[in-house]
This record gives sequence, structure tokens and C-alpha cells, in this order.
Amino acid sequence: MSQPLILGIETSCDETAVGIVRGRTLLANVISSSVSEHARFGGVVPEIASRAHLEAMPNVLEQALSEANVSLKDIDAFAVTAGPGLIGALLVGVSSASALSVALDKPIYGVNHLSAHIAVDALNSEHALKPTIALLVSGGHSSILQVNDISSDVKVMGSTMDDAAGEAFDKISRLLELGFPGGPAIDKAARAGNRDAIDFPRGLTHPNDQETHAYDFSFSGLKTAVSRYLQQTPNSVRADVAASFQESVVDVLVTKALAACKKSGIDSLVIAGGVAANSRLREMAQERSEKAGLELRIPAMGLCTDNGAMVAALGSIAVASGKEPSSLGFAANSAAGLDQVIW
Amino acid sequence: MITLAIDTSTARTSVAITSDGKILYSAHHDDALAHGEVLPGLVRDALTTAPVIDQVVVGMGPGPFTGLRVGIAFAQSLALARNIPWIGICSLDAIAASIEEKEFMVTTDARRKEVFAAHYVDGKRLASPIVCAPSQIESMKLPIHGEYSHEFPDATKLAKLAEGETFIEPIYVRRPDAYPAPAGVKFRPMNAMDLVTVYAIEKVAYKEDPWSLAQFKEELKAKNRWYIVAEFENQVIGYAGALTNGDAVDVLTLTVSPEHRRKGIGRELLRRLIDWSRNKKVAAIMLEMRVGNSEAYPLYLANGFVPLQERKNYYGPGVHATVMRKELT
Repeated sequence: MSQPLILGIETSCDETAVGIVRGRTLLANVISSSVSEHARFGGVVPEIASRAHLEAMPNVLEQALSEANVSLKDIDAFAVTAGPGLIGALLVGVSSASALSVALDKPIYGVNHLSAHIAVDALNSEHALKPTIALLVSGGHSSILQVNDISSDVKVMGSTMDDAAGEAFDKISRLLELGFPGGPAIDKAARAGNRDAIDFPRGLTHPNDQETHAYDFSFSGLKTAVSRYLQQTPNSVRADVAASFQESVVDVLVTKALAACKKSGIDSLVIAGGVAANSRLREMAQERSEKAGLELRIPAMGLCTDNGAMVAALGSIAVASGKEPSSLGFAANSAAGLDQVIW
Repeated sequence: MITLAIDTSTARTSVAITSDGKILYSAHHDDALAHGEVLPGLVRDALTTAPVIDQVVVGMGPGPFTGLRVGIAFAQSLALARNIPWIGICSLDAIAASIEEKEFMVTTDARRKEVFAAHYVDGKRLASPIVCAPSQIESMKLPIHGEYSHEFPDATKLAKLAEGETFIEPIYVRRPDAYPAPAGVKFRPMNAMDLVTVYAIEKVAYKEDPWSLAQFKEELKAKNRWYIVAEFENQVIGYAGALTNGDAVDVLTLTVSPEHRRKGIGRELLRRLIDWSRNKKVAAIMLEMRVGNSEAYPLYLANGFVPLQERKNYYGPGVHATVMRKELT
């Protein structure tokens, strides 16, 4: 029998996205973003995002089906992000997915957005799904997770006390006048710079932090240090500042992720979320994982930011592991925690 | 022609299946916050009665946006899955369709003390729906029908309406009330490291009776509370806190450092408290305000808080409080 065909819908923030997978094989990944409509407000406006989701949904669905060369009737189960996220935005996705499920009499799985970011690692690969440590780093999240079983058992080992890592990149990029989004801009500028030029602080790495914040992050002190350095050093070299700032962030992320592996005795590390696209993070994680004898996996670029394929991937894992589908009419939860993986 | 009809523009979620005027299925559920939970089950039941349908007709509003979109998203995806057309109609027309008077108004709850309304003569709507204060409609001295007299869009009438004026986009009427967030200001939960700055602002803002540092520490640790700060260039410049208290949320404090006022920071803090309260699914959010606080009063009014009563000497001898309440349901 062929592997089940799963369609995943993601509308938790400003991307309307649909992905289709067969088992662990990616067939389609279509994303429509309303990000440009939010730019002038300096952040995502929930009502604007919700309106855009409703408008984009039919086209994104049809495009994904055509890309995967399947029809809706072929889909074996639907998966949809049910939280966390903006409630009005989530409801557009959940209602659409529920309608598909009712119209075609196929099961539906409400899934956790954060878990889905990690589950996407299962796609296009043969590796066994075993316990792993996950470093989830994006514009909205920075956490270290112990993933014993992606569909049922994920523990938060640590998270950020202030900014998400992606936010820190955006802010420093603004200080350095490198533009938005800050991640790629700093990554690029840093290549021409000396990462050891300035010794910026590493947040929450003091020995005293080991007891209470061993796996937590803080980037606000680093931001202050960069801002102060720029004020006090009129002729500073921007590339050096970018490289040294990036080195500080990446060093903390990788050090803490590896420490989490050591502490838990788990020899596998997944890095997910938009910041996973950073080239220095990829390079340093690779070097240090090899040295530590850890297996490292980072999803392909297009699967790091919010997408529907990751939702389909988690739905597919839920089906394969025999999870009960969600009961029709389940409630989206804007503040869902990682204890709620499948609704 | 077999029609599946859906409307989620009011507190009522209605579903019907009709076949050339004959009603095969009709059901509804009244709960302004549960459209998403209720609709899929009602449609599944409806399709058990009549498994094959030829078209979907859906009420496009006007109505509170989040519930409205549940019905429209559902209708358009269901039509896509069944490869049949979907047709949008004006939800107020679906109320008017049951009324036989010569001239009347139809209104539904638009929240924030406003109504969606349309004017009907001889069964025809005179103009596009509007959003306005209820008093404006009352002043027209016409019979008023709709949500307040427990008259809702009748799903069994939707198929007939689909032969008239149709809509491909939701009838939002209101624009999204988006405004630029204060540039460079960040909002996040309060932590113990903020307390020194918070207390410094508190002393300046409430010279007569500031909370003590110890009180803030207690509050941060206490249950059912939520404290947030506004931060600019790594400096706390404002804070707010609230407490869930049974079926309501009480605003405990909302304070902006004097030099940062009139920049929309208080509005943004308040908006976050309201969002938090909505997530808690409480009926209302309440606050006490010093009588004569002319800076805060318009902010609360604009955000739907209504003055309820005065509490004499609440903040000490001669300093009275106004209790204000905003309904969330």
C-alpha cells in the first residue's frame, strides 16, 4: 500500500501556506505572504493578516494541489495549525481544513505550530525518528526542546527571557543601517568582517546562570553592548561589528544546544526556524557537532520559515504513529504550549 | 437545485439545506464565541441528511469579523472540495426576508456599542449596510428588527437570496483599526529585574500613594496576574497589570512614564490587556480610574469602557474612583 497523502494548512501569522506530503516525501509547498502589507505598521496586524488569509486560501490550495499533481479527493487526511498563533488568523485555516474534512469525509488533525517546525526535519530523509534535541530559533521563538517523540512528548528545556534571536538580528541590523529583514543582511555583512574583532557579551553564560538558566537565552544585554560600542567608537568597522555580534548570538545558541544534548544524553540535534538559515550558525553547529560526535540536521532553507509542508509532515507522523484524529469542531488555541501537540 | 446555506454573521451559527424551496435540514446554535467549534458538526449533520449538494450559499456579513470569516472560509473550502459554486449574500437581507412590513430597519450587534444596520422598503434594501450608534437608527422612528429582538439570518432563506445581489468579498463595513505601533517600543512580560525602574516610574506617576517595591514583588509572584512592560532602548517606560477575578479581568495598573505619554504606549498596553482578557474567555474587563484623570478617560472610552459607578474616597480622603467596564462577549 502506498504511503498516506497528507495536506497541511498553516495560517498562524502572516503566511497563508499549504503543503502536501506523501509519507515523508514532500510533494508541494506553496506560501503566500502578507508581510509587505504589515511593513508600514512595524509588525503584523492581526486583522490585516486574517483578511489576507481568507482571500489567499483558495488559490494557495489549488496551487499546492497542482504542484503535487494530486486532487483533493486523493488526500487521505488533513492537518492544520491549531496554535499557537493569532486567533483570527488560525481560525481561517482551521475552518478551511474542517470544511475539506467534512466535504470529503476524511480525518483532520489539528497540530502544534512549534512542533511542526521540528517535524519538518522528517521530510525527504530516511533517518529513524528517534529522540533529539531541537534548537528552535526564529523571529518569534528561541527555545531548546527535548523531543522524545515529536507527536506526543516534547519538553521545553529553555527559552528566551527577552527577544527571540531573529528579533535581535533585526534590531542590530537597524542600528547598523543594514535593512530589513536583519538576519540575511547581517549574515552577508559579517562575511567581510572579523568575528573576533570585538568581544561582545554572551547572555546567560555566567557560571551563576548554570543553575537557573542553563538553557535559556537573553539577547538584550548584547543589544545594549552593541549600541554602546557604536556610540563610543565613531570609526567602527560595520562588518566587524556585524560579524562579532553574529558570533556572540551563534556561539550562545550552539553552546547551549550542545550542552542540552550532553545533559540529556541525546546524540542528535535539529536546528529549525528562520534563523536556521544563518550561514555562521550552520557552520559552527556543524563543526562543534562533529567534534562532539553528534548527528546534526537542519531543514532546507524554504522549510525553515513558516510553511504548510511542516504541518503536513507532523500530520503524516501522527497518522503513521496511529494517533487519533482530532474531533471535528476542535478549538484553535492561540496560546497553545508544547504539551498540546495533536488536538 | 440543492443548496447548503451557512451564516455566522451574528451570535447564531445557522445551517440549512433546501431543495427548490423545500427545507431538508435546518439547525442553529447560539454562542457568539463558538462559530468555529459549532459549524463543522452542523454541516456534517446536514450532509448526512442530504449527501449531495449543488451549491453553497453563505452570509457575507456584515458581522463581527472573526466569526464571520469562520463561515466564509468554511463555505469556500467546502465548495472547492465538492467542486461546486459558492455564492455570498448580505446577511442582513437574510433577516429582512422573514419580515413583512412595508418599511423597517434591520440591525445586528457590531460590538463596541455599535450596530450594523440597513434600511428596507417593500422588501428591498435601500443602500449598503452601515455601522453606527444604535441611537442613530432609533432616531429614524422606524420599526427595528434583528439581533436585539432575537431575529437572526434565516439560513432557509439564503438560497432564494442567491438569485439576487451577491457578494464575492466579506461585507466588512469597518476598516481594520490598524495603526502604527509606537516605533521602537517593545512589549514583554515584566520580570523581577524591571522592578527598580517600574518603581521609579510609579513614584513619579502616583506621588500621593505609589505602590511600594514590596507590593510589586508580591504582585509579580501572585496567582492569576499578568504584568507587562513597554521598553524603549532597553529602558522600561511603562507597565500594566491585570488579574483574572471570576468571570472578569480587573486592570490593576496602567502607567506610562510622564515623558513618554501621548505616543500611543498606553493604548498599546491596554490593547494587550484586552487581548489577554479575551483569551481568558471572561465576560468583561474592568478598571478603576481616579476621578478627573483627563488623560486616561478618553483612552478608556475609545476602547469601549463604560463608566458604571463612582467609589467615594477610593484612593484616600477626597480622591474618588470611577469604575469602568468593557463587555467582552
